[in-house]
Amino acid sequence: MSLLTARNLSVGASTRSGDFPVISDLNFSLAPGKILGLVGESGAGKSMIGRTIAQFLPTGFSVTGGTLEFDGDNLVTMDSHKRRNLLGRDIVFIPQEPLSALNPVLTVGQQMREHLLRIGHTDQAPWRERALAAFESVHLPHGAGLLDKYPHQLSGGMCQRVLIAMAFASRPRLVIADEPTTALDVTIQARIVKLIAEMQKRDGTSVIFITHDLKLAAQICDEILVLYAGRPAERGPARALFSQPAHPYTRCLQLANPSMSGERRGLFTLPERMPGLRAIKDLTGCRFASRCPAVIPACREAEPPFLEIGPDHVAACIRPEIAATIMPPPPLPMPETASGEPLLSVDKVTKSFVTSWSLLRKTTEFRAVNEVSFALGENEFVGIVGESGSGKSTLARLVVGLDQPSGGRVVMAGRDVTANRRDDKAFRREHVQMVFQDPQSALNPRRRVASIVTQAIEAAGKRGDNTARLDRARQLLAEIGLPPEAALRFPSQLSGGQKQRVNIARALCAVPRILVADEIVSGLDVSVQAQLLDLLLRLRQERGFAMLFISHDLSVVRYLCDRVLVMYRGEVVESGRTEEVFSAPRHAYTRTLLSSVPPDDAQLDWSPDTVGDVAAGVR
Amino acid sequence: MTSLPAWLKSGRVLIGLTIITIVAVCAIFAPYLAPHDPSEQDLLAMLLPPAWAQGGDAAYPLGTDSLGRCVLSRLIFGARVALTVAFLASMGAMILGAVLAHVAGYFGGWIDWFIGRIVDVWMSFPPVILSLILMVGLGTGLRNVILAIILVDWTRFCRVLRSEVLVVTRRDYVAAARLLGFSHWRTITREIAPATLPLLITLMSLEMGVAVIVEAILSFVGLSVGAQTPAWGQMIADARQNIYQAPWNLICPILAIFFTVFGFNVLGDGLRRTLDTRLSETERA
Repeated sequence: MSLLTARNLSVGASTRSGDFPVISDLNFSLAPGKILGLVGESGAGKSMIGRTIAQFLPTGFSVTGGTLEFDGDNLVTMDSHKRRNLLGRDIVFIPQEPLSALNPVLTVGQQMREHLLRIGHTDQAPWRERALAAFESVHLPHGAGLLDKYPHQLSGGMCQRVLIAMAFASRPRLVIADEPTTALDVTIQARIVKLIAEMQKRDGTSVIFITHDLKLAAQICDEILVLYAGRPAERGPARALFSQPAHPYTRCLQLANPSMSGERRGLFTLPERMPGLRAIKDLTGCRFASRCPAVIPACREAEPPFLEIGPDHVAACIRPEIAATIMPPPPLPMPETASGEPLLSVDKVTKSFVTSWSLLRKTTEFRAVNEVSFALGENEFVGIVGESGSGKSTLARLVVGLDQPSGGRVVMAGRDVTANRRDDKAFRREHVQMVFQDPQSALNPRRRVASIVTQAIEAAGKRGDNTARLDRARQLLAEIGLPPEAALRFPSQLSGGQKQRVNIARALCAVPRILVADEIVSGLDVSVQAQLLDLLLRLRQERGFAMLFISHDLSVVRYLCDRVLVMYRGEVVESGRTEEVFSAPRHAYTRTLLSSVPPDDAQLDWSPDTVGDVAAGVR
Repeated sequence: MTSLPAWLKSGRVLIGLTIITIVAVCAIFAPYLAPHDPSEQDLLAMLLPPAWAQGGDAAYPLGTDSLGRCVLSRLIFGARVALTVAFLASMGAMILGAVLAHVAGYFGGWIDWFIGRIVDVWMSFPPVILSLILMVGLGTGLRNVILAIILVDWTRFCRVLRSEVLVVTRRDYVAAARLLGFSHWRTITREIAPATLPLLITLMSLEMGVAVIVEAILSFVGLSVGAQTPAWGQMIADARQNIYQAPWNLICPILAIFFTVFGFNVLGDGLRRTLDTRLSETERA
């Protein structure tokens, strides 16, 4: 007997520009006490399924066919009163952004109390005990003090724990977790995922786990459904699907992620992007055909049927045996880095911020970066890893000169630029440029792409010559792999990956010798991430530059960087060649970081280090 | 053919623009539109009712005031003072306030603190009293009215714009421009000002409405332009004496002020809705 069953479920949208399908041919059945993983890139329709269950679809979207049965009742045709009674009690959601899901002006306790009252806990007095018990079960310490805290006083991980406690308080039968860890640090991610799995086991709850991370899904889910452009590509038992993918898309997703163990292998970079919702309608044949490395003419003739591969394992591919033959390309070579005079050397640099200021008392300081020293050689890629708050970004700002260090020296190409005088700034500008994290905020929405990427020319004061600027822009766009017609677009007309390319192009226009990249691939889909990583490696070969690459994603750093610095609370706790640090970590924190990454092989047991769990959680 | 910009399609903007155009046409072509000289006295026809009322005279469509001057003509000529003050005073207040706001928000630190405290102190004076004191000190006249309004109202721009500048300054693209070697001046004019411009335009159209009201208040107490120039506030002050015999003398200038200020406010609201990037698509619809 299954708890939630989808039979040929399809969702469509009708807009002024016509009707188009959003989800089609969705079939799955979720047994009680099992975890179903929904995996796919952004725009694949993952979240739409959660919204269909809640009947909370965007305006113009509606279920166009099939059924979605919860415990024998069709959720699609159920009357709203009955559905309201199910939602929040039998079916609950764990949201993506814990901080925005909690009301900022009510204490955690008040919100928990409201929730308890709503799910039928009526007697006023013992709600505190019940709330505390719920918090206890998600390993939230601090007892009664926690109830009087406001969400902003808690860390993101703790807020997510509060939400998980709320979700499981009603002993629900179905939990829908929509990317519950995307906004959190890697170390926290591992703990939250484990917590959800633990709660699920305790209550025997069924969980739909929506994620873009196939590796993570393979670890914790019983069954996985891979979505591509709104249609299931493959569905099967998690381990079987992960170890023997039968759809080329699943295989490509796997290969687009850098590995964490074994030889450094190349990334499979899927070309272009997933077809948008509006484009799907006009496609004939397999939706993946335009990007599939093993496409044959027959693929474009008809939509592939779901073929039975193994027990409960189906794939929408006419040649399911082909997926296993897709091999990653050889890795892009890592050029030898010249030893000798370092291009950048940072010597005992400290940045402290005054946290409370008073005329009478001694001011208290917080050291975001504490006596950090490292060197960056010519043409060398150095990764900086650590969780948020470890001082990675502050260090980047000190290197490029956006902030001034409180102590220590920054020496660039043999010149001490710490003082950041006028001529130091000019010197620094020729040597180092920064690529920012959030392309949304890093690109002026009122400038066209051509004007953005050639801002360095504008800064030099050579204005009048617009044709020369446009030529340079086209040249840069070709280098970063954007079509020349993109030059006249505005950033809002580009996709996330394209924006990040423009972001890189702008920094490269000034022909720097050092690039500082702050989390430039986080928040992008794996296929886009793979494209960008290979772009960086290719550019290094073609132009030769050194890079300081800040990331929380260890596998990306392993793929890209020669050396790595591990930062923890403002200090570098370990550094060395990437391979050595990752295979034989010496510092306990490095080990914690490494253990939070799910292993490449789904058969291996994943036991993230959860020591010192929420100790530092309260700000 | 290029399509109209979004802000021109908004109904509010169109209504506002239409009203202001009507008032502006009256102001510009006043000598041709007005049936009489606004200062010409006809002591034989004092306090006439509008032409359609009993005892009205077709020569004076909206009647006459206590000195026998044509109300319609005075209204039309009054638009000149109102609009001149509205445009010049809000422009001046905008320039002063915007410059200080950009300096404060962009540089931050003690500069921001200093400008912020000046604004605080400035805003603690009651605005009407402040402008009255200024007018007493400066003396009457169109130029001084404008100056007084600028000196009172620049704080409004400064306060609101500063917070917007703060938000934009923290965007990464501003940092990127600085890293590429943009000077402070170029960063402010090329990266920050374009982003604050929509708010600036909106604030300005609202400020024009405020300026019309302030001018009316000042001329009501006789501290605006001299008695020889017709102004709406003056007309209200004059009509006060005969409020029972000739209520239309009071109602006409009040309606004129209402009409004009309403136009500016609707325009400002419409512009805010279409230009403000922070508003979601749904509210805009």
